[in-house]
Amino acid sequence: MEKTVATLETGTVHEGSIVKVLWVPPEYGDAVACVLDDGTLSLWEEVAGDGQSLQWKICTKFLNKNARVLDIQFGGSSTCLKLVAAYSDGYVKVYELHNPLDLNTWQLQAEFQNVIDSVSKFAKASCLSASISWIPQKGESQQLSFVLGFNSDVPQLNSSKVWEFDQLHQRWLTVAELALPENSGENSGDPVHAVAWAPNICRPYEIISVATQMGIAIWHVGLNPDVDGHLSVEKIALLSGHQGEVWQMEWDMSGMTLATTGSDGVVRLWQSNLNGVWHEQAVLEPTS
Amino acid sequence: MLEMTRWEYVMEYSKEINSLLGTTKSMASIVEDPRRILTVDEEPTSLKAAWELLEIFYADKQSQTWLPERLVDWLADYDNLFSETQHTVYSKLLDLQHHILHLQVIEDDPKYWDCLSSALSLGWLDIVVKLLRLHGSYELDQIGKRETENGLVEAVVVLVSKMPRLRPELQAGRLGECYRNKSDFVKGWETWRARVTKLECSSFWVDCGHQKTREGLRKILQIMLGNTEHLSATTYNWVELYISHFLYIRPFTVGLESLYGLAQKCIQLKPVSHPHSLMGLMVGILGENTEVVLAECSRAFGPWMVTHAIELLTAGNDQSEILLHEVRQNLGGVSIEELHRLVYAQVLASHQLTWQIAPVYLTSCKPGIGMLEILLYRQPVHFKQGLLKSLEICRLYELDDVSSNIMKIAGIHHWKHGRKGSGIFWLQQAQDEIRLNKIAQQLFDFVGKSISEESFKQWEGLIELLGSDTRTAGGLEFLHKYRDFKRSLQQAVDGKASDAARQAVESLIMLMKNSSTPQRFWLPLLYDSLKLLTWREGPLLDVAQTNLLLNKLQELSIARMRPDYVEADLPTQALSSVRLALATNLGRAILEEQ
Repeated sequence: MEKTVATLETGTVHEGSIVKVLWVPPEYGDAVACVLDDGTLSLWEEVAGDGQSLQWKICTKFLNKNARVLDIQFGGSSTCLKLVAAYSDGYVKVYELHNPLDLNTWQLQAEFQNVIDSVSKFAKASCLSASISWIPQKGESQQLSFVLGFNSDVPQLNSSKVWEFDQLHQRWLTVAELALPENSGENSGDPVHAVAWAPNICRPYEIISVATQMGIAIWHVGLNPDVDGHLSVEKIALLSGHQGEVWQMEWDMSGMTLATTGSDGVVRLWQSNLNGVWHEQAVLEPTS
Repeated sequence: MLEMTRWEYVMEYSKEINSLLGTTKSMASIVEDPRRILTVDEEPTSLKAAWELLEIFYADKQSQTWLPERLVDWLADYDNLFSETQHTVYSKLLDLQHHILHLQVIEDDPKYWDCLSSALSLGWLDIVVKLLRLHGSYELDQIGKRETENGLVEAVVVLVSKMPRLRPELQAGRLGECYRNKSDFVKGWETWRARVTKLECSSFWVDCGHQKTREGLRKILQIMLGNTEHLSATTYNWVELYISHFLYIRPFTVGLESLYGLAQKCIQLKPVSHPHSLMGLMVGILGENTEVVLAECSRAFGPWMVTHAIELLTAGNDQSEILLHEVRQNLGGVSIEELHRLVYAQVLASHQLTWQIAPVYLTSCKPGIGMLEILLYRQPVHFKQGLLKSLEICRLYELDDVSSNIMKIAGIHHWKHGRKGSGIFWLQQAQDEIRLNKIAQQLFDFVGKSISEESFKQWEGLIELLGSDTRTAGGLEFLHKYRDFKRSLQQAVDGKASDAARQAVESLIMLMKNSSTPQRFWLPLLYDSLKLLTWREGPLLDVAQTNLLLNKLQELSIARMRPDYVEADLPTQALSSVRLALATNLGRAILEEQ
């Protein structure tokens, strides 16, 4: 959603700078979620009380003593808003908004670590960053999925995994790990700097891009699960070009062009050609 | 018959697009001013030139038999586009035009004769005639002395004007003799050639005293006789040479294969280091290489051109049609045609002034609908005009889900920005039961807590609004009945007036009977009515009414077992108090009725 951000009076509430600002889906009001550099997360909303002028008010603060918030993303549909937050201890929390009119009514729906089998736990994980990307929703489809990768000292947490909400049993499950068969599980481990799930307007498969120190991997993920409930994955390309870390990746609305940027300050656009070969389409460098 | 309509449609489409690209006056057209040979007032664009080239080859099936002449016309219109990077016949003529005013004796200037030959090579006959008429021998005081010379010039003028052309017609004022069919043309061509040869061999040349005139005119005759050396020397790039070959050497060239062969030959004779995009396009077309044509269109003219040109490329060409319409897994399940439409739609979508055109392209292909949904979802809804436009597009393409989502966004925006009426209006339009129920809850709580006239006023209008349309009110419609109930209840409690109490009971029964009253409000309503249920002066509810309420209470107990049941914010003993009060009332009512 495009909008000019009004100045948030964060100084009076928080000391510290904002590391991430994210718009709440517009069906829930004009609101932003802010992650501060001390790892706290708060929600701010533009509202007008009765007979009052518009102002930004804090709706809620998510408290967590043990870990910092690294990344957040909103997902779900116009009837059900969910918030996924990844923490520095390798845990993921999924919150659900109880009252669609009130951004102060969050309930914790699930809490888990980014691992394939739910048995193993990594208590001493230390994560520098995390990246979450929801499946871009179309219409009122009830499918809830997101992909998540960590940049941590625990390889098992790092590898990007696709999580899906199992409506029947009301729980989150990993349905795919974006790793080659020989590298899955313990060996999958390159720290993940960014993930981005591409919009899908007609493909019979999903596309997810994952940035690690090796480059930007383009993954095809099947739509239909096998008997164990897993989705097939295939690494289609590994794109290199950026000097240093890739921080951010964004897909265009057709899901055909990927824009990436990182510590080198250059924006690169990537596309697949008619033969399905991915290549760098354009480079945008800062002018000065 | 069907085939015909198809071509008519394609041609109509092409003409329409072409007209959007502006009008072009042929630069080789006749100008009134006797000393001006070119019009330069309107700059033609490469885009239009490219489109017309596509039209000639792909759309205009009626003029396929005289395609070379179509190309002659095309170059006459667009030769100056090639002048940007290199010499052309056009640039030579332009140069001459600048000098012409300062020339005293035009026929002494070699440029004059060069331009004449060049213009003739490209078939610009009117310019040739006009230039020849500027020849000094026409001046009145000279005719006596230069009679033979003038006679030769005039003889060439006549031959130029009568040149046979294999085409149905010429624009008004244009020179040449038109022949519709080949056999007539061949006869005309042979006669004309014979006359040129006859003049070439005539003895009058000896009597022509002006050397430059003699040489210049004979060169013109050589061009008319198809002298390859002269044609090559008077043209400046392979396209010009190509056109001159059509006119004077191979007027019968038909079929793309031979057209391509001739082009290859001309390219060899006049290679260009940096070919103009139009040249690349022409080679692609002649070589029947659809990919090259598309690549050239895309590179030089951008996504608009490619998107629209595909319509022409696929018209009646099975190979191109397969190539462009085939769904490709590599592209994510779209065809090349669809891909280009999506790309162009994205260009349109990126600007506030053009995004509304994007749906036309998006809805013309299957995958575009998904993108249109994303595009609409991204449009701001805070301004009524924009919102209505988005909704109009949704209605047009039957995107009901998107439409309802947009209305939800608008509804919430207004609701949260102090415009509660508009908020509810849009949520009702969106039939958003979930949000409307939450709003009902808020209003109910408010009305329940305070019914003093002052604070009630601000809600009153809203509640009236909600009552007007029961179908879409989404559980809010009962609120104004509730307000009436609360009023009479208040009066009953305050004044202990039995009339008011009876009225309150009526309202209560109406509310409880009404299916629009949400279940979660039943208990609060009954709890509010405790005073009525235990009225001192005697039971206010009869047996039937009491039973109705008891049944509702029973229903409520069952509903409480469901997981989605929302407990009302009431004291814990509320339910038992209500049950007791109802039981007491029932007992009293039975006694009374006996």
